[in-house]
Amino acid sequence: MPKGVKIVLVITVILFAAAVVAMFVFNRQADRKTVEIVQNGEVIYTLDLASEKDRSFNIDSPDGGYNTVTISGGTICISDADCPDHTCIKTGVLRSETIPVVCLPHRLVIRFAEEDSQ
Amino acid sequence: MRTKKLAELSLLTAAALIMFIVELRLPNLSPVPGVKLGLANIFTAYGVYRFKGKEVLLMVLTRVLLGAFFSANFSAVIYSLAGALLCLVGMLLLKRIIPAEYLWLCSILGAVFHNTGQLTMAVIMTRTAAVLAYAPVLFVSGCIAGLFTGLCAQFVLRRILPSKD
Repeated sequence: MPKGVKIVLVITVILFAAAVVAMFVFNRQADRKTVEIVQNGEVIYTLDLASEKDRSFNIDSPDGGYNTVTISGGTICISDADCPDHTCIKTGVLRSETIPVVCLPHRLVIRFAEEDSQ
Repeated sequence: MRTKKLAELSLLTAAALIMFIVELRLPNLSPVPGVKLGLANIFTAYGVYRFKGKEVLLMVLTRVLLGAFFSANFSAVIYSLAGALLCLVGMLLLKRIIPAEYLWLCSILGAVFHNTGQLTMAVIMTRTAAVLAYAPVLFVSGCIAGLFTGLCAQFVLRRILPSKD
């Protein structure tokens, strides 16, 4: 095996191992209850899931299109959308404190707020 | 460009598009956007080792643009384009140090480049750095998918006689 290949192989293995570790670190459950809904990089809603009633509302995208956000039993998810890929719906309920629910076509992000911004 | 080369490139582009469409019909493997097999990359990886850089570039651009027509998902073009181009540039550079027997390694890193490109574009488009939290998942899935597509390309490359021109 040529030297260049060895170096690249080692880099790849390290990268893979680091990604596996990071995946588990990032995937821990959130104990926060404040959620931010971000559109185009601006926070448009800040919700406290502990006190929110169960409800659904639509968020319209400036380029047309909508996402229906549903809050139920202290959880939040996107239940309906007219984006082409529906990835945001398939992501399901927001759980992880680092991994947000994202709708790329509508540039919408739902994430847990930082502790100090409450 | 000679007619034979043109025909060869078109054929590969068409085959890549077929793979792309077949993959669209498969159920999503994961709720994370961007996690997919990337079967069309078999042809990119193959092309990188068989053709000149600009020829593969033509192939990739045609595939991404036509792919958007077939999937009717134009908002995804900007992500596919960012991913596919970074992947191509990365693989063309890696080709200089990685010989064809280790194509799979080149393909793994190509997939990681692909995910990096998509993710960078996602951060720019959503203007939210939180999207970066997807990076580990994407890198792990990219390594596995890249290994698979790379091996596929390698088996094909091995069975084809060296190009005469």
